[in-house]
Amino acid sequence: NIDPESLLPKLPSPQDLRPFPTTTATVYRGHEGRVRALSVDPNGIWLATGGDDGTVRVWEILTGREVWGLKLADEPVNSVKWRPVKETGILAAAAGDDLFLITPPIFSPQTEELSRQVLEHGFGAAAVTASTTTNGEPKKEPPAKWARPITTSHLAHVTVQITVRHTIKHIAWHRRGDYLATVSPEGQNRAVCIHHLPRHSSQLPFRKSKGIVQRVEFHPSRPILFVATQRYVRIYDLAASTLSKTLMPGARWISSFDVHPGGDNVIVGSYDKRLLWHDMELSTKPYRTLRYHEKAIRSVSYHKGGRPLFASASDDGTVQVFHGMVYADMLENPLLVPLKVLKGHKVTKALGVLDIEWHPKECWLFSAGADGTARLWN
Amino acid sequence: MDTTPSTSQVQVKFVTHEAEIAVNPAPILVPSNLKRFGLSQVVNHLLSPTSPIPFDFVIDGSFLRTSLDSYIADNGLTSESIITLEYVRAAVPPKYLSSFEHDDWVSSVSVRPGSEPLILSGAYDGIARVWNLSGEVIGQAAGHTAGIKSSRWTDTNSFVTAGLDRSLRTWTYTPDDAEAIQCVAEYVGHTSTVECIATNSSAQRILSGSADANIGVWSTSINELPPPPADTVPIRSKRRKVSKSTNAAKQYGALGYLRGHDSPVSGVMFTPQDSTVAYSVSWDHTIKTWDLTTLTQVDSRTTQHPLLSICALPQLSQLACGSSARHITLHDPRASASSVSTATLRGHTNAVVALSPSPDNQFQLVSASHDGTVRVWDVRAAHSGNLFTIQRQGRDPKIPATKVFDVEWNSCGIVSGGEDKKIQIDSMPAVEGEQEML
Ligand SMILES: [Mg+2]
Repeated sequence: NIDPESLLPKLPSPQDLRPFPTTTATVYRGHEGRVRALSVDPNGIWLATGGDDGTVRVWEILTGREVWGLKLADEPVNSVKWRPVKETGILAAAAGDDLFLITPPIFSPQTEELSRQVLEHGFGAAAVTASTTTNGEPKKEPPAKWARPITTSHLAHVTVQITVRHTIKHIAWHRRGDYLATVSPEGQNRAVCIHHLPRHSSQLPFRKSKGIVQRVEFHPSRPILFVATQRYVRIYDLAASTLSKTLMPGARWISSFDVHPGGDNVIVGSYDKRLLWHDMELSTKPYRTLRYHEKAIRSVSYHKGGRPLFASASDDGTVQVFHGMVYADMLENPLLVPLKVLKGHKVTKALGVLDIEWHPKECWLFSAGADGTARLWN
Repeated sequence: MDTTPSTSQVQVKFVTHEAEIAVNPAPILVPSNLKRFGLSQVVNHLLSPTSPIPFDFVIDGSFLRTSLDSYIADNGLTSESIITLEYVRAAVPPKYLSSFEHDDWVSSVSVRPGSEPLILSGAYDGIARVWNLSGEVIGQAAGHTAGIKSSRWTDTNSFVTAGLDRSLRTWTYTPDDAEAIQCVAEYVGHTSTVECIATNSSAQRILSGSADANIGVWSTSINELPPPPADTVPIRSKRRKVSKSTNAAKQYGALGYLRGHDSPVSGVMFTPQDSTVAYSVSWDHTIKTWDLTTLTQVDSRTTQHPLLSICALPQLSQLACGSSARHITLHDPRASASSVSTATLRGHTNAVVALSPSPDNQFQLVSASHDGTVRVWDVRAAHSGNLFTIQRQGRDPKIPATKVFDVEWNSCGIVSGGEDKKIQIDSMPAVEGEQEML
């Protein structure tokens, strides 16, 4: 004789969970064609975007002023990611099978010099390696070619160009900024390539392909790599070189995922409209399935500056913002509350919002749209 | 007792902050169907000024916009209540005067102090311009290698500019000279964009707030300044193109830095009473008070939101702070004040990025916002929203609003600059009574 309603946990009202983004604050206009990717620099001052027009652009966050831009390629820029180190100003951008490491000329001379040192140090290391490994044997072709860009005058601020075999769709930095991984979904056993900046060397961590790789992310604090194929998120212990766990979100086609800053929770977005929260301490199955989007989910993102927020972006043109509280008490499960549907991007040729990222400190959210704009929401 | 609305009466007390227009505050009976106009007539009758002064009435932080009857009903009062009405001179809406066109976004405006106002504008094309009130450029300051984000007069014949190239430049302005504007010095040391500047000519000090989270303290007298720190001299730029001769200015370092914020400093000002004390606001949500003699933080209070602008209402001992969360909060900066915020002014629909107090009404201020408007506020009626909204002149209502970046209210009126590449000047006409006095 118990009212089943009374057994449901009472969710707090969104008003009690403020602040969270509710409206467009800034529109970044300038790209011709889709904005594919965006990234906020680790100090939270500059927004970088990459688009189908082959350009990367850097913007003042609040005013929306484009302060710098560069045409990298005739192909789309599919991913941009700032190196997560506050003392340097290094932007990684992928276009076609090239990864460009860029020092945009917007930083102080000290920052610029340090950035160039970090990027150029490996040119010496690579030369040493090459000379000591020639012993008559036919050398195996390296997984990636590191070079200074050929067209130096045009790509003056590109310090390093790394070329792999297949189109790069995604970039992930290790938190210390020494390693970064690229994902080329068509690359099979070459899909994931890990690049070591200090030595200008690249390696392929997986000998066999276990499906089409969509994304990879490094664990926020431990030597662990998350690899998402269309169906699964596999968790590899990098120190022991073993597969430690496989998450089974139950999605037909994973588009994106993100790792909670605490390291024990993962959100997965899928082209089949589902947003899945995994608590890895509970199960390899999702803790919650959130079906709020009407079209494919393209990007999911946790706030990583101490606010219990996450968001998902979709081809339905919306960004959805959620409260996601992870408790220090292991017995208490995460609290998830839908907060707000952000509408503003125009669906363009069936594509909506392609990438999202939170500001490193504030509850400001950035979105990249197929409508040719990026937006700041607060 | 006759209870028909037309004849019912209510006791009111008329009070004001302005001594020269004060009437006896003892309660008097007035018809309860009176609205603003009728009440204004009553006060004018009691005051008998040489010419009528239109008044507005404030109850509980809001302007009375209904009859007293409705107010009593809406607030659950009875006709026996005594209602205290604060009367204020009714403000007259601003009038558009003129716009001065630029080649790029206008990030900052500053009006020359003294009897001959000239408008200084800083723009994203890296050029600061001095304009007369007829809209003629009478001098240009070119030397910054990137956009200017702040520009302020330091005196009647000198000003300072700063912005995206991380340096400040000081300039002299000599009227009637062919080379009216000369760069005096370049101040270097900030490691990120300079967002805001404050000047104090009597103390010979300049403060600069930067995205590097520090506030630079500089002297207008270059003899006081140390050489630039060695690591700020551009290593690479030497190998790049040789800088244009106009860019070459002797470099100096800061007297020191105010360190304590941990996000970009978006607003800085000297306290109105004491040029050795400064206030600053930051994206880090705090308002900080600094002792400029010892370069130490004296006070810090944390608000709910990133702060983007600050101004003082000196007679009220209040600070107004504009936020990215679209509102303006009022704070009492005195150490004894316990409450974090005393009132909130709501109405803007985007970030509030500049604030300026009225030059002649201690209760009024003006704000500039990324929502494309400049708004005039009276803090006595904080709950009523803004008094007036100034739109950008000539804007196409079909295209999205263009951001306003800076505003200053002084004897020339309300001067603002923005993304529409224009300085806009709107006059705030004095109220009738004051016109009679002039
Ligand atoms: Mg992302």
